[in-house]
Amino acid sequence: MTFRQARWDEPAIWDLAPSAAAGPPIAIPGVPERLRRKAAVRWPELSEPEVVRHFTRLSQMNFGIDTSTYPLGSCTMKYNPKVSEALARRRGAANLHPDQPEETVQGALEMLWRLERLLSKVTGLPEVSLQPAAGAHGEYAALLLVRSYFRDRGESGTRAEVLLPDTAHGTNPASAAMAGYATREIPSKNGCVDVAALKAALSERTACFMLTNPNTAGLFESDILEIAEAVHASGAMLYYDGANLNAILGITHPGRMGFDVAHLNLHKTFATPHGGGGPGAGVLAAGEKLAPYLPVPRIVKKGRKFHLDYDRPKSIGKIRRGYASFGLDLRAYAFALTHGEEGLRHVARRSVLNSNYAGAKLGKFLPRPFRPLVKHEFVLSGAPLKERGVRTIDLAKRLLDEGVHAPTVYFPTLVEESIMVELPETESRRDIDRFIAAFERAVTDSPENLHAAPRNLAVRRIDEVRAAREPLLSWKDLRGASAQS
Amino acid sequence: MSRWISDEPGEEAALLEALGIASIDELYADVPKKARIGRMGLPPGRDEPEVVAEVDRMLERNKPYSHFANFLGGRIAARYVPAAIDAILTRSEFYTAYTPYQPEASQGMLRALFEFQSLWVEMTGLDVANASLYDGATAAGEALLFCRRLHEGHRFLVPASLPWEEKSVLHNYASGPGLTVEEIPYDPRTGRLDLEFIRHAVSTKDVFGVLADLPNGFGHLDEGIPDLKSMIGDVPLVVSADPLALSVLEPPGSFGADVVVGEGQGFGIAPSYGGPLLGLFACRKEHVRSAPGRIVGATLDAEGQRAFALTLVTREQHIRRSRATSNICTNESLMALAFLVYGSVKGPRGLAELQSSLAEKARTLASALGGIDGLSAPRFDSPYLSEFTIELGRGTARDFLDRLRRRRVLGGHALADPRPGASPEPERILVSATDGVGEKEIQRYAKAARAAIGSSGGAA
Repeated sequence: MTFRQARWDEPAIWDLAPSAAAGPPIAIPGVPERLRRKAAVRWPELSEPEVVRHFTRLSQMNFGIDTSTYPLGSCTMKYNPKVSEALARRRGAANLHPDQPEETVQGALEMLWRLERLLSKVTGLPEVSLQPAAGAHGEYAALLLVRSYFRDRGESGTRAEVLLPDTAHGTNPASAAMAGYATREIPSKNGCVDVAALKAALSERTACFMLTNPNTAGLFESDILEIAEAVHASGAMLYYDGANLNAILGITHPGRMGFDVAHLNLHKTFATPHGGGGPGAGVLAAGEKLAPYLPVPRIVKKGRKFHLDYDRPKSIGKIRRGYASFGLDLRAYAFALTHGEEGLRHVARRSVLNSNYAGAKLGKFLPRPFRPLVKHEFVLSGAPLKERGVRTIDLAKRLLDEGVHAPTVYFPTLVEESIMVELPETESRRDIDRFIAAFERAVTDSPENLHAAPRNLAVRRIDEVRAAREPLLSWKDLRGASAQS
Repeated sequence: MSRWISDEPGEEAALLEALGIASIDELYADVPKKARIGRMGLPPGRDEPEVVAEVDRMLERNKPYSHFANFLGGRIAARYVPAAIDAILTRSEFYTAYTPYQPEASQGMLRALFEFQSLWVEMTGLDVANASLYDGATAAGEALLFCRRLHEGHRFLVPASLPWEEKSVLHNYASGPGLTVEEIPYDPRTGRLDLEFIRHAVSTKDVFGVLADLPNGFGHLDEGIPDLKSMIGDVPLVVSADPLALSVLEPPGSFGADVVVGEGQGFGIAPSYGGPLLGLFACRKEHVRSAPGRIVGATLDAEGQRAFALTLVTREQHIRRSRATSNICTNESLMALAFLVYGSVKGPRGLAELQSSLAEKARTLASALGGIDGLSAPRFDSPYLSEFTIELGRGTARDFLDRLRRRRVLGGHALADPRPGASPEPERILVSATDGVGEKEIQRYAKAARAAIGSSGGAA
């Protein structure tokens, strides 16, 4: 073990300096007395260097992909190219207001249009909108398209159900519910969709089947063509959750597999940084049946000029302010342009090679509940650790002490004590071997050490139960708690 | 081609050998032949200088607002971003992290998000804030669904003056559960909400929430908003507020707001043609278990030291699935960090001073435009801060703005819904004072406006 995270006893920002004088802020002429703030916002008055030091110290108590291997399954934590960061900060990108006239943002429209065309080729679906702010937002928008389509066919009353596999990301059922659908889970068989169970569940009540392929167990749904045929025979739509697209870039695509609509996460497959929780950038790609319902505006090219077209009578309208997360789309475009046709295929192939390699190695330590041939990620079960009184969570914390991030744990839920590992293409063989060595040290360590982990981070094991049982959610709560004690 | 993927000689071969296979093709044996594609049809890869040149070629076709006297605003602020913000945001420990699922490894971001939540709580006068939503419009949409969890009914009331984009987003959020968004008319002279309409609607017992915005879609401050809560009783009140305005305005929590949402982009985030943005959401503590989005809580570690973690996760999609309070997974954490750093670099005094200086510019602009024949500026007789609405007596807003643009003035934002088939609206433009304009730019606007309105008069 050579890793020690910084451990600053850094005060909360409000303890660095006194808050502003409690008196009212500057009075603005014309603002009626009853709307005027009576006391200034309670927040410290700090110098810029004090602020910069505070946040620099906080940053040193945080893992990022630049500090560590970050093998979170289904999150595709790959390297975020630095050139993309530089480009997104150009004045010609950053200083554009979304309401500027078309004539002044031709370059932005061109880039967005080109990215849409590129993603259309990647997905095999003819029309692409960049409006969704994140993956889940894209899922939800896709289901609004589906609803609008069936409403126009007079079937919105009957097609009230969305089907999804029991391995689906939690966002799928949550998005379906927000779009007004009842959801029903289809059981998996050996980690993949049980096609017979799906066929039995499909009916004239089904609006959509939502599927991730490769799925969250890391397995390619090889029955996909049969699934698509069955879904379409029932009159329903087939939805592609693009969270795991990285593994199949240039090998197959949603269009060829028979999907009607798809969302992608540019912050996964196209390497835009995830910012410690966001921003993401979602993509909505639609086949011919659903394309007329895409959000407005659509970017159209006439001659050499680009325009925002609002004349889409069937459109669902807007799903957020602005046309797109332009700053992130620009980063994704730079990524795609750099890789090109062969490069993107290489991304997929190398990520699959990495995961299969790591899967084979780690399979020696813990059982793999599904077939060994995987795509972008693989699943292990930490269940045997229980014989030693150890759980998956202990292993995860112990891995942090090695200076690597832990995999996704306790998902997918159909595997007991599950561990989901994804090692994208930007992890070198040396990185992976280091991760494997760290994993071996962790999994073979004594129960005492595993329970005591982490020891090398800014804090020791965190009491998350306490956080939920006695919620302290802001400075105001902390003040209240200390006043009571 | 990139150097982002290791290509050390022999590396791939060693990985293949460990797997006992000859080619990566074998790893795709589970993809049926009929599902495979040939080429995608993309161009070949390029190296970094070529990519930079190509992106720069496109970016040079843009004319950033800094080339103009810029009066565009409306929830998205073209405001100076202090260099210190990006110095923190480009710390790659922050920007290359994922959602803090392992809190011990992510205390930096969790603490920053806790401080961010605290700042929005202090600004709004409410108890609890989440760790961000996508943008102000979707935050209002989530607030709509949140209100429905707190109160029975089918109707959600919003100002008719709300920007059309926000109305459209709200219609989409309402459509899933079969709810309706209904518009509250405004007084044609002042733009203030019709309180009688609200009183009557609420008396039907079918209203589950009321949204009011501060400033409103016309840029004005509605003096009636502090009276709303007492009028609607236990029906939840959502206030959509501009964060900078809250540096000088009474916190909505103190006049009964149950939820305060807002667009946080103006605090340290470049407009970047509309994204990424920042959705703000705060509510009362007794309702927190119905709230959408990630929330960071304070707790202790095994040694009894202060530590932070995502909490109340049983509300969320990865646990509750179809019964979650929202589908949100990815939020805008890094943008929340920008908001926090901006608020802390400026401080309460600096924020109020900035608001005060923008308000002074807006008043100067109003008096410069006020005397122009054929232009009603401001259109509404109500107080305002940084922006207000003008109305044209002749010609279209589009033509007017076009003429201004040719004189290097971005004269504001036409408020009408641009979708064909939208009901006709007066020719109104939201005009915003930005920190990039001074006396000279204001006079340029007035001169260009006079010329524009004069020539459209001639054409009529």
